[in-house]
Amino acid sequence: MGIVMGTFSMQPKQGGFRKDKAEDELEMTVVCHRPEGLEQLEAQTKFTKRELQILYRGFKNECPSGLVNEDTFKQIYAQFFPHGDASTYAHYLFNAFDSGQNGSVKFEDFVMALSILLRGSIREKLRWTFNLYDLNKDGYINKEEMTDIVRAIYDMMGKYTYPVLRDEAPRQHVDAFFQKMDKNKDGVVTLDEFIASCQEDDNIMQSLQLFENVI
Amino acid sequence: MAAGVAAWLPFARAAAIGWMPVASAPMPAPPRDKRRTQDGLIILNVSGTKFQTWRNTLERYPDTLLGSTERDFFFNEETNEYFFDRDPDIFRHILNFYRTGKLHYPRHECISAYDEELSFFGIIPEIIGDCCYEEYKDRRRENAERLQDDADTENNNDGVLPDMTLRQTMWRAFENPHTSTLALVFYYVTGFFIAVSVIANVVETVPCGTSPGRVKDLPCGERYALAFFCLDTACVMIFTIEYLLRLIAAPSRYKFVRSVMSIIDVVAIMPYYIGLVMTDNEDVSGAFVTLRVFRVFRIFKFSRHSQGLRILGYTLKSCASELGFLLFSLTMAIIIFATVMFYAEKGSTASKFTSIPAAFWYTIVTMTTLGYGDMVPKTIAGKIFGSICSLSGVLVIALPVPVIVSNFSRIYHQNQRADKRKAQKKARLARIRVAKSGSANAYIQSKRNGLLSDSLEQASKEAGQALVSKTSSSFERQHHHLLHCLEKTTNHEFVDEQTYEMSCMEVSTVNQSGSRSSSISSQHGLTATCCSRRNKKTFRLPNSNMSGSRPGSVQELSTIQIRERPPLSNSRSSLNAKIEDTAQLNCDQPYVTAAIISIPTPPVTTPEEDTSQSPDYSQSNIVKVSAL
Repeated sequence: MGIVMGTFSMQPKQGGFRKDKAEDELEMTVVCHRPEGLEQLEAQTKFTKRELQILYRGFKNECPSGLVNEDTFKQIYAQFFPHGDASTYAHYLFNAFDSGQNGSVKFEDFVMALSILLRGSIREKLRWTFNLYDLNKDGYINKEEMTDIVRAIYDMMGKYTYPVLRDEAPRQHVDAFFQKMDKNKDGVVTLDEFIASCQEDDNIMQSLQLFENVI
Repeated sequence: MAAGVAAWLPFARAAAIGWMPVASAPMPAPPRDKRRTQDGLIILNVSGTKFQTWRNTLERYPDTLLGSTERDFFFNEETNEYFFDRDPDIFRHILNFYRTGKLHYPRHECISAYDEELSFFGIIPEIIGDCCYEEYKDRRRENAERLQDDADTENNNDGVLPDMTLRQTMWRAFENPHTSTLALVFYYVTGFFIAVSVIANVVETVPCGTSPGRVKDLPCGERYALAFFCLDTACVMIFTIEYLLRLIAAPSRYKFVRSVMSIIDVVAIMPYYIGLVMTDNEDVSGAFVTLRVFRVFRIFKFSRHSQGLRILGYTLKSCASELGFLLFSLTMAIIIFATVMFYAEKGSTASKFTSIPAAFWYTIVTMTTLGYGDMVPKTIAGKIFGSICSLSGVLVIALPVPVIVSNFSRIYHQNQRADKRKAQKKARLARIRVAKSGSANAYIQSKRNGLLSDSLEQASKEAGQALVSKTSSSFERQHHHLLHCLEKTTNHEFVDEQTYEMSCMEVSTVNQSGSRSSSISSQHGLTATCCSRRNKKTFRLPNSNMSGSRPGSVQELSTIQIRERPPLSNSRSSLNAKIEDTAQLNCDQPYVTAAIISIPTPPVTTPEEDTSQSPDYSQSNIVKVSAL
């Protein structure tokens, strides 16, 4: 009795299901990206050939297909911050790295961003950071965007902190930030205001030089 | 943190610039990376197969051999590579672990070889990736079971412990009947009585022909009631005695009482005793008859005697879930079909399907394809549903059966494997024993031959000729030297079994005829030797000043050699000549004669001992040897 019902119901569904999966598999393997030549990258960035080689080997090891999608990006970044939740900040980072806004980071994007961050001038670094904070890329940072960023940074800390993390802490932090950055008190920070305020702050200037010798 | 993403650390640090403007406090100083080692290629030579990888790849996992400074121990400066004398096939997987961060387990590799390699390279097996982890765990469990089985059987067959109490001996006899003759006899006797009891129970009910004055046939049990009663009594006596003995001998009585076999024993003998008690009470005679049914459980006592029966029982126990599923699905199907058949046959006249429970019988008989034919559907609907019922019955019953069969087969093969392993182990132990005694004999032999080669060496040195000696490997030579040092340390010598046995025998005869031996010291030495029969190697030596010169020991050995075979070398001719004279003497006393001969003739020994440091030493050594 059961068999009778089984035989009638089994046939059509299975075929369709199998076909879908096969197509999926095919799609995934076809997409693969190769970067431009080594010389070109060397010309475009401030890295030497050897440094590019090391960077590419690490990159390709983690992402054999040559493209980093957001999930992989979040996974990789989360490994460095096991205490808390780094996914939000990784999301913003990904958007900052993904210059073409097409949902994946190629090696060129990766290396160019790194070139700016590690070998660029102060102005370039600050511009990159401004771009990171400006979530909707409209040229202005408003309080909501800043709050999101700061909250994402605090999320990476996790639950167990000293002193205990209170809910108002991010907001207070944002208020302090705006106090410093927003020169004309119009509620938004423009690129020039940002760069100017940062150049006045010694701490920030010093900390920007911190990661010069990372590679 | 997975070290695989160590390559992305620069990126993470660079991305930290995004925090800087938000931060209000100054940042800590970055660590100064002193060791700016350039990323270079490392060559790993594993038994000739060269692997190359970046140094950074290996350093991703600093708590393993390859990732830490431990690998420097394997660095070969001449070839500028790291050499490992291990299996290259397995090493491939280990290196892949460094490269990809995932450890795989190859199915064709032996699990213990793989484990060994992992532990050598300091990698914990828990890192094995999900794709291979199940297989790895299965194989490992199998292997552990095998080892456990081995250990268990070893413990069980572990020979007689010297101080076993009577109780322990009895228990061992009960559990392993082949260990002693008495146990075997007991085993067969009980088996015989079980068979007799079961056959008697069966024959009791056979009609035996009429006795005079009766119309119908009597079953044999009533005709020869007394005979059967005596037989039953005898069997029950044997079973009771056996049960009590087992109870006494059991190491854990509580566990024994709870075990299945003892419950079967109790159930087998209880009906008789209950019957003895209740013979006169007519009301419970019905119950008494029922109790007699339990006598048939005696047949289960055979499971102690038959391994196959035990395996069957164990299989059923281990397939309990499958059996349960079978039962459950059968019950469901029976209820469904019985209901359907009842309502289908309700209409027909004089239908046997009087109720649903009555239809149960039909359903069971049909589903198991028995088809007695006592209940048959008459309506068309009934016949249709009946045929569906029989078809589905075949399938429902066929489903769990392969599982049970495969379980049985697995357990049966495991048992067979256990027996095969026992036989193989015996052979293996015999081989090991031969090898061991071979190596021990090798030392003794080399001592004799060393005499030969050393004296040859001396002779050839004097003659200025090239030395031609029997070549033994340098390992052997060093090993023998080590044993020699041990001898010197303990002032005792290694000998082989026969020599030892003979020497003990000799000593006893020497003690009896003590007049022969001229040296008191030697006699004391002789008497003392056989005090410890067990330990072949410890002999008390009187006045032995071992200044350890090789020729000395060679001298000792010559006397052994004398005893065992004709002398090898001409350089010992003087001594040998003397011995040959005495060889005709009574064979049981060669040692004593050797002692006698050696002692008065120390000057004889010295010609060989040009380099010997102390004739006394050789003399006392000779004494000692004869004591052996």
